[in-house]
Formats: sequence, C-alpha cells, structure tokens
Amino acid sequence: MVSENVEMYLAYIWDLSQKSSPVKTNDIAKKLDISPASVTEMVQRLAEKGYVNYEKYHGVTLTPKGERIGAKIKRKHRLMERFLVDVIGLDKEESHKEACRLEHTISDESEKRICQMMNNPKTCPDGDPIPSCDEDCRMCISEPSIPLTEVGKGEKATITHLLCEDTGKLRRVIAMGLVPGRNICVEDKLPMGGPIVLNIDDCKIALAKDYARLVHVLPMAKGERIGKAEVAT
Amino acid sequence: MSEVIQVALLGHPNVGKSVVFSKLTRVNAITSNYPGTTVKFQEGRLVTKGKEMVLYDLPGTYGLTGATEEEVVATKLLSEKSPDCVVVIADASRLESGLVLLFQVIELGYRTVFVLNQMDVAKKRFKIDLEDLHSTLKVPIVPTVAITGEGLESLVEVIASDETRETDFKVRYDSHIEEMLVRLSNSVPRHSISYPLRGALLQLLEGNQYFTVQFSPQVKTIAMLERERFREQHGEDIEVHINRDRYGEAGHIITRVVDRIPRPMSRKEKISDLTLRPWPGIPILIGVLLSVFLVVVFVGGFMETVLVSIYSDLTAGFFDWLADEIGGQLGEAVSEALNLTFLSIVAIVIPYIILFYVILASLEDSGYLPRVVILLDSLMRKIGLSGQSAIPMVVGTGCNVPAILSTRVLSSRRERLILATVIILAVPCSAQTVVILGTVGRYNGLLWVAAIFAILLALIIIAAWLMNRAMKEEPIGLMFEVPELAIPRWDNVLKKTFHRTKDFFIIAFPILLVTSLVLELLMTYGLLDQILEPLGFITVGLLGLPEVTIIALLFGILRKEMALQLLVVLFGTANFSLVMTSVQLFVFALVMATYIPCVSAMGVLFREFGTKDSIKITLGSLTIALLLGGAANYLLSAVM
Repeated sequence: MVSENVEMYLAYIWDLSQKSSPVKTNDIAKKLDISPASVTEMVQRLAEKGYVNYEKYHGVTLTPKGERIGAKIKRKHRLMERFLVDVIGLDKEESHKEACRLEHTISDESEKRICQMMNNPKTCPDGDPIPSCDEDCRMCISEPSIPLTEVGKGEKATITHLLCEDTGKLRRVIAMGLVPGRNICVEDKLPMGGPIVLNIDDCKIALAKDYARLVHVLPMAKGERIGKAEVAT
Repeated sequence: MSEVIQVALLGHPNVGKSVVFSKLTRVNAITSNYPGTTVKFQEGRLVTKGKEMVLYDLPGTYGLTGATEEEVVATKLLSEKSPDCVVVIADASRLESGLVLLFQVIELGYRTVFVLNQMDVAKKRFKIDLEDLHSTLKVPIVPTVAITGEGLESLVEVIASDETRETDFKVRYDSHIEEMLVRLSNSVPRHSISYPLRGALLQLLEGNQYFTVQFSPQVKTIAMLERERFREQHGEDIEVHINRDRYGEAGHIITRVVDRIPRPMSRKEKISDLTLRPWPGIPILIGVLLSVFLVVVFVGGFMETVLVSIYSDLTAGFFDWLADEIGGQLGEAVSEALNLTFLSIVAIVIPYIILFYVILASLEDSGYLPRVVILLDSLMRKIGLSGQSAIPMVVGTGCNVPAILSTRVLSSRRERLILATVIILAVPCSAQTVVILGTVGRYNGLLWVAAIFAILLALIIIAAWLMNRAMKEEPIGLMFEVPELAIPRWDNVLKKTFHRTKDFFIIAFPILLVTSLVLELLMTYGLLDQILEPLGFITVGLLGLPEVTIIALLFGILRKEMALQLLVVLFGTANFSLVMTSVQLFVFALVMATYIPCVSAMGVLFREFGTKDSIKITLGSLTIALLLGGAANYLLSAVM
C-alpha cells in the first residue's frame, strides 16, 4: 500500500516533470510550500523505495514504477475536478481541494466509470491535460455504455452521450429531447431492422436505427427505478 | 394603444397550436393528430377591447436552430418579425420538452406567455402546481383546453394586457459554459445586440445562424474557436451540453411542481399501445388498409352508380340543347366535352375522392397514420423507401391525384419521385380497379384478377428497387413523436375534406376541361382517326387486341374507367366475352392498370415535379404498360 503522502509527491513530481525533467527539489518545495530540506529527505526515501532516481544538484526523475503511480493519481485528481465542476457544479477552488482528498481514496473502477460517464474528458477545468489511462477507450466506451440499438425490448437506460459528426442529425436528436441524463425505456423494437419505439417522460418517440445508433446509453440494472416515473406509481 | 400587437404561437408539433389559432381568429388551419401538419405559417387577425392583434400560427418546432424545414419557417418568423409577444404552447401532459423551448424564448428576451394546453387530459394524470410554476418562471401561465375553447379568453386578456414585467428566470448552465459566456460577453461591444446578450450568445455557441446575425465577425470567430475547444476537451459538441442543462433544469422544475396521480392505464392507452406492437399491430394494420380499400371500391362504386343516374336525369336533354344552340359539329364537340367533364366530377370526384378524403382525415385525426408508418417502415426500407411512403400508397388506391400530393410528407425529393413513379405505374386507383373488375373480373374469374394484382405488386417492388439503385442515396430515417390514439372530431374531418377537395378542384378541373375539349374536337373533325390509324400496330400487332380498342385506350388517358364505357359503345354490346377472348381481356386490363396517368394525375405530377421528370414518368409508364401487355399477349397466346 502506497501512503497518501507518497502518492501526492509522485503526482507533483509527475506534473513538474511534464514541463522539464529532471525536476529540481526546489521546485517541488515551492509547489508544496514546504522547506527544501524536508523535500530532499522525502525524495531520498522515495529513491530508496524505487519510485524515483535522485542525484544531488541534478534533480529527480521518476522510475517507471513511480511514473505509473504519479500519472494515475494526477489522472484521478483532474478527472475528479472535472466531475465536481461539470456534474455537481462546485467552483474550481472547492473542486481542487476536494479532488486533493479524493485522488487517494477513489477506486480504479469508480475512476473508470466516471471517465466513461463524462465521455473521456481530455482536460481538467484549468485546461491542464488529464493523463490518459492504459486502456483502449473504444473498448471502454462500448461497455457499459452502449448504443441505443443494443438495448433490449422493455429495458431501461440513461442517455450518457451522443456520438455524431453530422451537426444536422445531432440537432434533430437533441430536438427530440434525447439528451444526456434523461431516462428512456425501449418499448418496442420493430422486426427486420424497423424503428425503435422509446418512452421518454411519458412521450413516445419512434426513431429509425440510423438515429438510434448515435445515442449512447447506460442500461439500468433490472428492477432499478427509472426516476420519478416509477416512484409515484 | 392603436398599434397592432404581433403575436406568435410557438410550440412543439401536435400540441394544438393550430386549434388555438383557429379558435381565436376563425381562420381555418388544417389540424391533425400527427406532427407536422403546418409547414407554412398562417396569419390571422383578432380585435379585442379596441386592441388589434395579428396572430402567427407557426409550424411545430422542437428548437430554434432550424433543424427541419418547419423549424426554419418558425425560427425565421421569430427572428425577422420580432413579434411583441410569443405564446409558447405546451402539452400539459408533456411539460418537460415544452419548458425547454420556453427557456430559449425567455433567454431571447421575448415577452412570453406560457400556455398549458390539453389541460383536461393532463388533469386526470397529474397535479400541476401552477402557482409554483408561475413563481419559478415569472411569466404568465394560462391553462387551456383549446378544442373546447376553455381558457382562451384569459389567454387573449393576458396577451392584450400591458404587463411587460421581464422575468429574471435563468437556466443555470455548467460552469464551463457560464465562463465561456462571460468571456464572450466581454468581447461584444455594448448595445450592439438587440437581444439579451446571454440568450444571443447561447444561440451563437449552439452554432445557430438565427438570432446571431448582429454579432461582429470577430465575436463569431471567437465563438467558433470556443466551440471547437469545447469539443476537443469534452469529446462532445457544446450544444449537447447546453441542452443537457436545459433538460436538467426542466426536470428539476417538473419534480417540484408536477405530481403524478397514480392510476391504471386507460383502455385508450392500452389500445394505443397494442396498435404499435407488431402483434397484433400488423394484423390490425392489414385489416384497416383492407377496409379502406373495400370501402372506397364498394361504397364509392355504389355512390357513383346513384350519382351518375341522378346526373343523367338532371341533365337529360340539356347537352343536346346546348349542342343545338352552338350549332354544328363544333356545338356537339363542346357540349360533349362539357358533359364528360362534369360527368367525371360526378362519377369520380364526389364518390371516390371526397369519400377518400373523409377516410384519410379520420385516419389522420385518430393518430393511426404514424402507426402505419412505424409498422411498415422496415418493409418499405427493403425497397428503398421509408415508412412514410405507406400513406401515399394507400391514398393511391383511391385516387392518384391526392396520392401524389400526399408524397409531400416525405422529406427528400428523391424519395418523393420514386414514390410518385411507383404510384403512377403500379398502384391501381379505384378507376383502374373498376376496369380490372369490369373486364377480367367479370368474364375470366378471380384468379385472373389476382394475377393482375400480383403483377402490380411485383412492379412496385421492382420499380422502387431499381430506381433506388439508380439514385444512390440513402433514405433518411424516421424520427417523430407518436401521438396517442384519439376519436376524430367530425367538424375537423369535414373541414379538412372541404379544403382538400377545393384544392383538388383548383388543380384538376381546368386540365380536365381543356383536355376533354381538345380530344372532342379532334374526334368530331375526324382528325383522331387519322392519328389513330398508324397506331394499329400497337393494338393489333403488339397487344393482339381489336383495332378499335385504341380509342378506348386513348380515352383512358382522360378517365380510366371511361375506357370501359367506351368499349361498350365501340363494340355495341356489354358482353365483352362475345367480342374479346379471355387473353385479350387480360391484356387490356393489364395495360389499363399500368398505363400512363390520367390527365388529372398528370396535372398534379407536372405541378409537383416539373416538366422533365413528369415526362419521364409518363413515357416510362406508357412503355412499361405496352411491354407488359405485349409480353402477356405473346406468352398467353402461345400457351392457350
């Protein structure tokens, strides 16, 4: 188990190393607002454990092991910032503080799901890049988020994102109220590649497969409640 | 205030804008129980308490970006006429999407009134806290039941009142979009935009070309860069996020103000659902289509017999008198042409076409047609058409003229052209059915009739498939809201029938009259025979028919079932089996069924598709009819 303190150091070193490498201990001290002496001490300990290579007067470089942890933590941090700002609506400063704590505790699975839900964001709210993960995004996006065409009859799902290059088509899809966050229920799928009939907030919409393919959804587990529609009944 | 107040009625398709409009202005707007009945906007006036209002009934629109032809019309009027008041009409049972449209109208700073229509239905399903809704949105809210006129008086009062308090309601967007708005608004010079800056900037960020013309090119460029950056960072277009937030806000309001009343599904809803499922939807569909066909053929046929006999009783002697009055051969020709023209109105227009319009209007108002479209979509797509084309084809079994007009429901010209060709070539109109039944059906038996219909069905499939290959363009998929079934209102059905029949007369009557005159004159002066003689090779040579049948075939251009009546005159007997073999009867009926359109149909064809394509379709169907007839002649003569 890597301690939070180590994770934090590695994340900062990783971030600084993106601008110039090796990283000077003075820069780390400035960034963390602590004395250079304690930084040096910490770096030496990190070097002992094999996370970094440290040469006096020259600086710090991450070992592959350290690099992996540093990038991972920074990824979680920036992803969480993005999530807190975009979805919950926290302001940037708050979200940064919150993310500093969450980056150490959030599980890899949650990180993955948030990334999917946010449709694989590339930058944090400040515009800094979110380090990419090792997995192939196409694999990740398609599971558990799937195109509407794959949803079975009678199943419920939440729209996660729209994938479309054609603005005209995209607008038509949006106009029908098919936007992320809304819950849908596939009422019927006509045979032989016919249209799909959806129920979205008590309104029935028929749409051809070529439109349904653009809408990506997260299926709900069976028996899960679909918003207010079922709470009342 | 002596000025005229301009009022725009805006709302989603099928929420009852046109009903509100008709009730307020007494101007007839065509309404149906399916989306998209109003493609152009209508204008009507209304005077109340000394104030004059102009109302604009806009086509149904889901948003303000002009995504479809209807939306372009609605959006253009809003942005160009800038009405004094925008009445946003929503279906009270489907508030969420109505709110999203309302938000945008409010953002653009229009004086807004929010109408919750079809409140009677909604009341049974939901408890809506109008007070709370009003205090949230801070715009006047008027519940109505437009069809009975309930609430419309207070709507007019609200519009006419001078209350101009602006609402401070705002949709909250996610922090990126809000930041973007702040960044952008700093680069826009003060007072250069007549809309509220926030609303206009949102439209600009959405990439909307309307409401954003006043922005300088620099601001537009910045907005475009922001859009691109957003897409790069989020992997999604900004309009998706903007609308996500609008729906989020709407959903938030709904959870607060709307309470669902628990209740079981009503019988109407159950039937509505059943007609949508393949089972029993498709058997029901076949039943409905079959009964439409049978009603048109049998009720229409009965009405025709009755009307024609009344007509000939009433006009007995009149046309002889007219011919004498004018005098000579000219008199006879003119009077005969007039007689035939009126006869065709009595024999075709009134029994078949009006009857068909009544059925069509009832089907439209019942909300059943969208179900036809959905159920047949996959089948029609196999031959390169979309489900929407099922309706014109059904209409075509009554008469090709309204069928060609109703191809307008299709969005692309390509699909319209394919469909029109298929209808002209292979969908038998009621008159063609009469010819088939009156020849082959009467003398050869039902098997031969079935053979002709089978050939027509094959023709539909082959023709659509071939044209589709040649045009090389994917048909556009369907996407629309499915209305619930409703019982049609007879006044609306009659109103629609009246307007459509009027349109039909305006188009078809002059053509019918002129063509009859020309043909009659040619006949009378013996010119027709001179034209006919060289054509013997077609009837006798190719089709193996008696030479005189060419006259019947030619007159078939004027009126399809007249060919049958002319055969009687030409042969001097009503028993065709004495003068024609069963093969000849079959060939004759087959040619008549696939033959070129009648003049009325041709008239509409030219008007809808222009000269070039119409000539192609006409000559094409003539060629195919003759080839088919010839092939049938050679094959059957060899066998029998």
